[in-house]
Amino acid sequence: MSVASVGVLKERPRRVRRALSAVPRAFRAVINLSPLGRTNVGAVALHVVAEGVRMKIALVFLGLLAMIVLALPFSIKGDGSLTGAVQSYLSFSLSFTGFFLGVLTIFLSRSISDELVHRQSFLLFSKPLARWQYIVGKWAGMTIFNFVFLAFSFLCIYGMMHVILRTKPPVEDSYTSGLTPTSKVDIERLAERKALIGDGTEPTQSADRLRLFTDVLTARHSTMFKVPDFTAVAEEEFEQRLREGFYDAATEPVDRAKEIERLKGKHEARWRIIPVFGQRVFEFENILCDRSPGNFIQLRYRAELYDYPPDEIFRSMWVVGDAGKGATQYVMLPRHIVGRFHTIKVPADCVAPDGTLSVLFSNVNPYADPNWFETPEPMFYNTLEITRDGVKCLFTVGSFEGNLLRLFVLMLCKLMFLSAIGVLMTSVFSYPVACLAAFVLYALAGLRSFMHESLEQFDKYDEPVTATMSAFFNAISSGEGGKASESFQTLAAEFISGGLRLIFKVVPDFSYFDGVETLVNGENVSLVWVLQGVGELVVLQTACILGLSILLFYRREVSETSF
Amino acid sequence: MVTTVEKSVPVVQLAGVCKTFRDFWRRPRVPAVVDLTLEVRPGEVFGLLGPNGSGKSTTIKMLLGLLYPSKGRIAIFGRAPSDVAIKNRIGFLPEESYLYRFLDARETLDYFGRLFRLPPLVRRKRTDMLLEMVGLKHEARRPIGEYSKGMARRIGLAQALINDPEFLILDEPTSGLDPLGTRQIKDLIRELGRHGKTILLSSHMLADVEDVCDRVTILYGGRQRAAGHLAELLSVRDKTQIITDQLSRQTIESIRDLVLRLEHKDVLDVSSPRTSLEEFFISIVEDARRANVATSGAAGAGALAEFLGGGKAGDVIRRLESAADTSINSAAVAATPVRAPDEGPSKQVLEQLSRPRSEPTPASVAPSSDAPATTAAPIEADADVLRQLMGDRTSPKREASS
Repeated sequence: MSVASVGVLKERPRRVRRALSAVPRAFRAVINLSPLGRTNVGAVALHVVAEGVRMKIALVFLGLLAMIVLALPFSIKGDGSLTGAVQSYLSFSLSFTGFFLGVLTIFLSRSISDELVHRQSFLLFSKPLARWQYIVGKWAGMTIFNFVFLAFSFLCIYGMMHVILRTKPPVEDSYTSGLTPTSKVDIERLAERKALIGDGTEPTQSADRLRLFTDVLTARHSTMFKVPDFTAVAEEEFEQRLREGFYDAATEPVDRAKEIERLKGKHEARWRIIPVFGQRVFEFENILCDRSPGNFIQLRYRAELYDYPPDEIFRSMWVVGDAGKGATQYVMLPRHIVGRFHTIKVPADCVAPDGTLSVLFSNVNPYADPNWFETPEPMFYNTLEITRDGVKCLFTVGSFEGNLLRLFVLMLCKLMFLSAIGVLMTSVFSYPVACLAAFVLYALAGLRSFMHESLEQFDKYDEPVTATMSAFFNAISSGEGGKASESFQTLAAEFISGGLRLIFKVVPDFSYFDGVETLVNGENVSLVWVLQGVGELVVLQTACILGLSILLFYRREVSETSF
Repeated sequence: MVTTVEKSVPVVQLAGVCKTFRDFWRRPRVPAVVDLTLEVRPGEVFGLLGPNGSGKSTTIKMLLGLLYPSKGRIAIFGRAPSDVAIKNRIGFLPEESYLYRFLDARETLDYFGRLFRLPPLVRRKRTDMLLEMVGLKHEARRPIGEYSKGMARRIGLAQALINDPEFLILDEPTSGLDPLGTRQIKDLIRELGRHGKTILLSSHMLADVEDVCDRVTILYGGRQRAAGHLAELLSVRDKTQIITDQLSRQTIESIRDLVLRLEHKDVLDVSSPRTSLEEFFISIVEDARRANVATSGAAGAGALAEFLGGGKAGDVIRRLESAADTSINSAAVAATPVRAPDEGPSKQVLEQLSRPRSEPTPASVAPSSDAPATTAAPIEADADVLRQLMGDRTSPKREASS
C-alpha cells in the first residue's frame, strides 16, 4: 500500500468525523440562540449531544433505525391492501423508533459514570459547575438528543408513508367496504346518502384507499358501549340460591360481596354471547360529533364466532339511531370477514341531539331473506361473542398529523423519563451495573401491566408476613420439615410479590402510554392523554428522579477512592 | 475578567487537614493526608513536593472540592472549596490530561470556556490565543484521542488558563512532556508568576520545582516534613562557591594557597562547569525548527496569550529582559549558584516592572537592598509605558493590592 493511499485512508475517518461534528455544531448554533445556550446546563447538554453523535453504538442504532424506517416501505406487505401496508409500516417503524431510542438513551447515560471513571469529572468540577447543573445538563442533553432524532424519525416515517401512498396501488376487497346501505326503513334517505357512503355491493376501485383515510389517516375519538348493570339480577340470584341452600355444602363460608361480583360477571358474559336470531342494544354516551349532513360516525366491531361459516363471511343487521330521541335511524347490513375488526360507516345524524346513540344488533342474515333480496344467500347459524372492546363508536375529532404530533410528545415523555432513570443509575453505580439496572427498569415499565396481572396469583397469601414467619420458625423448631418448606415458600412468595408491588408503584406503565396502536387504528391520541403523560412521566416522576439524583450526587466525592 | 486580589487573605489556607480513605464498608483504611497546615499567599509560586503517594494530589483534590477532608479546615480565597463561585478564579491542570478523546482541541477549549460562561467571541479569541501559545494551532481540529501525551498535556494546560485564573493549580505539569515542553512550561509558570498569578505546583520533579518556586512544602506519608523559602531551605551555609572565567593552573594554585593562608581551609573542588543535557537538547531541537523540519507533534510554543498578560506587553518585557540577561551574563554562567548573583540595574528594573505587586518577593530573585537610588526614576517611567502597552489590564489588580 502506497504512502498516498495510507494518507487517503487516514483522511477518510477524519472526513466522516468532520461530517458528524456538523451535527453538534448545528445543535450548538441553535442552542446558542436560546437562553439555555448561555448557561452551564446548556454547555453540559451540548456536550452530551456531541458525545452522543460520536458514540459508535449510537451510530449503529441510528443506522438500524434508518434502515427500518427507509427500507421497510419497499418490503412491507401487511394484509395485501394499501391500508394494511400503511398500518403495518406505521406500527413497525414507530415501535422500533421508540425501542431503539429507548435503548440508546440508556447507553447514552453512561457518560456520567464514564466521566467519573475516566476522571474528566476532575476537570469539570474544578470549573464553576454546580452538581445540580451537571445532572440537569446531562438529562437535558439526552432529551435534546432524543428530541432531534425522534423528530427526524417521525418526519422520515411521515414522508415514507406518503411514498407508500404514491407507489402502492390500492387492492380491492369486496368485503372490506363493509357497508350496504339498503334498507326498507329509510330507503329514501339512504338513497340520498348513497353517493357519499359508497355501496358495498358495488365496490369502487378506491374503497381501499378510502378506508385508509377514514380508518387510519385520521384521528377518531372512540367510545365504548355501556355494559348493563347486572347487580340487581346477581343479588336476586344470590338470595334465591341462599334460600335454596345452594351454598350449604360449601367448605368455607361464602363471602356475599365476592359471590355477587362473580354472579354479575357471569350475567355479563352471558349478555355478551348473542345466539342466532338474538339481539342486543348497545348504548353509547357523549358522542359529541358534528351531526350535520356529510359527516359520519363509525361503528368498529369484531365478529368472534363460535363456529365459522364455510365462506368465512359474517352477515348481520344493525339498526343505528333511536328515532324516539330525535335521531335518524339507519339500517346497515354488513358482510364482513370473521375474526377481524371492521368498520361500519353511518351518517352522523344517527346520533341523538343529547349525544347518545343506540345501536340494535341482530344476529340474523338479512341476505337470506327472499323478501329483501331476489337472489338470497345461504343462511348460516352462528353464535357470536362481543368482547369488552368488541363494539366501539368512533367519530373524527382531528387530523392524522395532529395525532402523530401528540404521539411524538407521548414518546418523548417516555424517553425523558428513561433519561432520568439513566442519569440516576449512572450517578450512583458504575456503568455496567447502571446499564443493567436501567434496562431492567425499562423492561419492567414496558411489561408493567402484564406483570401486574400476573401478580394476582400471589393474592392467595392473605396472612400477614409476621404470621407466616412465626409459622416457619415454629415448624423448624418442632422439626416439621414439610410445614417449614411450605411456610418458606409462602414467605418467599410474599417477599417477591411485595417487592414487585413496591417497584410497580414507582415504575410507570409504559404500555399505558403506548399510543402507537391507537394511532395505527386511526383513533385519537387525545390531548388529555398526552397531558397525563407529561404530568405523570415528566413533571412528577422525572422531576422526582432528577431530584433524587442530585441529592445522591451532591455530596459524592467525585475523586473517591475506596480500598 | 476584572478581579481583585485581596492582599490580606491568603489564596489557600489549610488548617489541620486530614484525609483518610475508607473501604467499601466505610472503615478507615489509608491515611492519605495527616494534619496538614499550610498557606499560599497571593502572587507566589508555591511548590508541593513529595514522592509518589505522599498526599500531594489528595491535597489538591481537597482544595478543589473533589474530595472532602476527614478533619480540618480548608479555605480558598477565604471560602469553602465547595463554593462554586470561587472556581471562577481557579485554573486546574490535573496530574494527567483527563480530556475527552472524541473532542478536538478547539471544542475542548470551547466547552471549558462555556463552563466559565465566557461570551462566544471571547471564547473564540482566547481559544485561538491559547492554541497559539501551546503550539497546537495547526492540530486544533484533530480529536484529542489522536494526540500524543505531551500534546494532550498542552491542551490540558490551555484549558486551565481559559478563564485567566488568579490561582493556578498545576499537578505534575511537566509529566509526559519532552525536555523542550518542560522548559516551555517552566518558562510559562515563571512568566505567569511574574504577572501576578498565584501558582500551586505539585511535583516530584525536583528540578522543575527548584527552577520556578518561591516557597515549598515537602510531604511524606501524608505529613508535612519541611516548609519554607527555597533559598533558605537549600542554602549550604558552610560552603562558598566562586564562579569566574577559565583560570590557569597557576592562578588556581595561588587561590588555593591564599585560602589556606587566610582562612586555614582547603579548596575542596575546582572544576569546569558543564552545560546541562537539557540545554543541549533544546538547542538541537530549536535548530531543527529553524530549519523547518516537518513534525506532527506540537509546534514551538508561542508567546504568553495576550489575555494572560502576554502579547505586545509580554514581548516588550521579554526583549528588555533578554537584553538585561545579555548584559548580566556576559560571562558564561552555567552552574546554578546557591544564591542568585547580584543583578545589574536593568534586571532589577525588569523584575519590578513585570511583577504586579511589590510583595511577596521571592527570596531567590530578591532585588538587593542596596540597589542604587538612581534607578528609581526610570522604573516609574517604564512602568507607565508598560501599563499603556498592556492596555491597563493588570492595573486593577495592582491598584487593589497597592
